[in-house]
Amino acid sequence: MNPILRLEKVSKSFGGVVAAKDVTFSVMSGTIHGLIGPNGAGKSTLMDLISGISEVDSGKVFLNEEEVTKIPPHKRARMGIGRTFQTPRFLQRSNIRDNLLLGTDLADQMGYFFSYFGKKGSDFETEMNMYMEHLNFSLDLESDIGTLTFGQRKQLEVVRALLTHPKVLLVDEPAAGLNNAEIDDIMSLLNYAASELEIGVLLIEHSMDMVMNICEQIVVINFGQVIAEGNPEEISRNEAVIEAYLGREMNA
Amino acid sequence: MKMKKMFLKPSTLVFLLFALVLSIVIPRVSQGYSMMVMNNALIFCVATFGVSVMLGLGGQLSFATVSFMGVGAYSMANFCSGRHGFKLEPMPALLITIVIATIISFLLGLVLMVLRNTYFTFASIALVQVTWSFYINYKPLFGGPDGISGVSNFRIFGWTPANYNEWFYVLVVVLVIVSLLVERIRRTQLGRSLSAIRDNEIAARTLGINVYMTKVIGFTIAGVLAALAGSLYAMHGQFVSGDMFTFERSTTYIIMAMLGGVNNTFGVIVGSILVTMLPEWLRFMQRYLQLIYGIGVILLMVFMPMGLSGLASSLSKSVKRRLKKAKKGGAVS
Repeated sequence: MNPILRLEKVSKSFGGVVAAKDVTFSVMSGTIHGLIGPNGAGKSTLMDLISGISEVDSGKVFLNEEEVTKIPPHKRARMGIGRTFQTPRFLQRSNIRDNLLLGTDLADQMGYFFSYFGKKGSDFETEMNMYMEHLNFSLDLESDIGTLTFGQRKQLEVVRALLTHPKVLLVDEPAAGLNNAEIDDIMSLLNYAASELEIGVLLIEHSMDMVMNICEQIVVINFGQVIAEGNPEEISRNEAVIEAYLGREMNA
Repeated sequence: MKMKKMFLKPSTLVFLLFALVLSIVIPRVSQGYSMMVMNNALIFCVATFGVSVMLGLGGQLSFATVSFMGVGAYSMANFCSGRHGFKLEPMPALLITIVIATIISFLLGLVLMVLRNTYFTFASIALVQVTWSFYINYKPLFGGPDGISGVSNFRIFGWTPANYNEWFYVLVVVLVIVSLLVERIRRTQLGRSLSAIRDNEIAARTLGINVYMTKVIGFTIAGVLAALAGSLYAMHGQFVSGDMFTFERSTTYIIMAMLGGVNNTFGVIVGSILVTMLPEWLRFMQRYLQLIYGIGVILLMVFMPMGLSGLASSLSKSVKRRLKKAKKGGAVS
């Protein structure tokens, strides 16, 4: 089986700081792939490079074995790279419905003209309810996005990303700032995305519990370089990882 | 849930009734000069809807409204005044004008939208200065400082508004159509995409929105609405001159949008009417008019950044909250 997302020797530096150096790994459809490393290791930068928010200095990014390195971010999104952010990015002045419809708009790809003249899009509420089943809060679609708690907004951002029908979903620290119940919910949703919707999920997460539990494969980076790759068991026994990451945490 | 799907909110209904009553009453109680000022307010309102699309939805502050009003006004003046030896019927001339305005604003949008935020705003100010100096200096197309007179009156199916009062009805119909068209933008993909660009450009990109092209489309829509207002202005006054299209004038459109509420259809209408009528109402203190105006704008920005409609909605929210509290309190005791 071909990987849905593949990075080949991707490098990026900002001034003198190396954020990524010769990073190579791949993510398979229908699996959750962990991307871990200490703070400042270059994890979020990698997501920016994959989604196209920043451009690589060298190396290649492939989506479904098609090279997307030179393609602008909005086209990559249309090709199926979905993403959430550490701090959820919503339209602060719009209601929840409009915020979620942005996801459906991307999935429908009907264009401004047809949308304006009333072409029907996909049934967003049915689909949304399917995802909301995993989450333990109810939505009033007409209320402002600001009425939701931080945790709810983080969960809802995953829902919006799923509404875009991505092939690959980049999830940046979904559990940060969430309570345990919310973490369980978001894990259940990500599991559903991978196993039922056949999405390749790339997950950045600091909560080791969550990563070890949910990921089939894990890639560990430090100072922009891959220092280990493997399944959770291998990673937990890998000495480079223990020294670079887990070790530091234990000492602290 | 069923209630939510109701076609009109009660507040909307109240406003519509109010507007309907006013549109019947106003032309019966006023005529001549005051009717002309009222009509101008409605014409400016069409252009202000363009500001609403660009600034309210897209978050892009553009001063170029007057430049495109000029495009519309002078295009009509050239086609319908006979100064080149021919005279077109107003309706075909209007259609040609819209096409010209679409092309010009699209091309200018392609250039200007390369610039971001403040840089774009400054460039739009420069554009106003450039077009204005063309308008008052280039005689063959714009008549120079004297302007162009003798523009044909509006005519449709052989009917021509005979006075300002009849013009008023024409403008009300145009305004209803324009506000429905703009309201539709707010509710469809284009409006959502523009709002996404305004609130979070990075999120917009990752949601598949072509930020540059969407802004260009927004700019074009604003340009076409301004040009439509310009054409109406030319036919209404049957005269066009460059002093309508100065930088000072361009700021009033932004104030109109901000006063009423830049993202609210009714706000745009109310704001345009208030800003146009206020100088007339305050005529007795004309010497202090600019001073009052300036202070008013500062107060507006500080105390009601979302304009009158924002004030109204926050008031209604707080009233609802109090009612809820009162109900709860009542239930407990």
